[in-house]
Amino acid sequence: MEGHQRNLYLYDRYNTRVAGVSVDDVTTLKYWAKSMDVTFPLLSNVTGFLGSSFGVSPSPEIKGYPVFGRRTVIVDKAGIIRYVKDGSPDFKDILLFLKKLNQEGGKS
Amino acid sequence: MRKKTFVIFCCLSFIALWMAGCATTERSGKSKVKWTPQGTVIWDKEFEFLPPPKEWSIITVEVGGEFGFGFMRVEKGAFPSQSTFVYDEEPFGCSLNFEKRQEEFFKRYLWTTAMTLDMKILEKKKVTVAGGEGLAVVTEGQDPVKKEKVKSKVVFGKRGERVVSWYLTQWRQIDGAYDDSAFQVFDTFWGSFKYLKKSFYETL
Repeated sequence: MEGHQRNLYLYDRYNTRVAGVSVDDVTTLKYWAKSMDVTFPLLSNVTGFLGSSFGVSPSPEIKGYPVFGRRTVIVDKAGIIRYVKDGSPDFKDILLFLKKLNQEGGKS
Repeated sequence: MRKKTFVIFCCLSFIALWMAGCATTERSGKSKVKWTPQGTVIWDKEFEFLPPPKEWSIITVEVGGEFGFGFMRVEKGAFPSQSTFVYDEEPFGCSLNFEKRQEEFFKRYLWTTAMTLDMKILEKKKVTVAGGEGLAVVTEGQDPVKKEKVKSKVVFGKRGERVVSWYLTQWRQIDGAYDDSAFQVFDTFWGSFKYLKKSFYETL
């Protein structure tokens, strides 16, 4: 999340907005965001429905505990999912993709 | 109204693999190091600097990355007597302003929130680093539980518009004496640092 916060000025340059999704409750996210100086929206999704809609499932490795995998999803302005990648975010890859997406948008 | 592209980062758990970027020492570093006739080292065709003496081992990050590369030296005295210094292109924090960035940085540096380390700033001054403005901060912290202490120097500089850093940590048992020679070696390292090409962000 800190990486995304660090890149906010670049996301803005590419007409992008970022939101984080977590199964943590609102109070936890509020304090966590404050401690990490995160200013972009964090969505509390305790039931996991939002993650499920993007194909993220609870990890089978820890039974009975709602631990979800990390997934980065980029949705374009038409609402089409253009990028999906699991694991820790590859920030350089994300920025290159957003740059390309922004250039595409500029031509249309 | 201009439509915005939305990026939804589904980080559905904050249980991160904090130690994913484990460092290893490298004996030769042949793949990335090239000596110049002037006695400097060119690292991966990207950075040039005066290297530390031979007793310092190269350390690199194999996976992930809390820093780029650096050097470490095991020193006299009981564990944890050692000094480590690195160059880090993504130091903790987000601000592009040095003063704000150092505040953010020290919230997480050395995991001060997770440890019982009480860090204090001893010195803070403006410096010139890599041909531009920078900020150097010297700190010291003690961990009364583990009976350890650490002295550190962090130099914040700019590469393009982004803040980068060089930092040294020197750990000792709580009654041990610090060795200033490591700080002198570190000062030579960051003081001689040059960029040989533009960063990813400068070419984005």
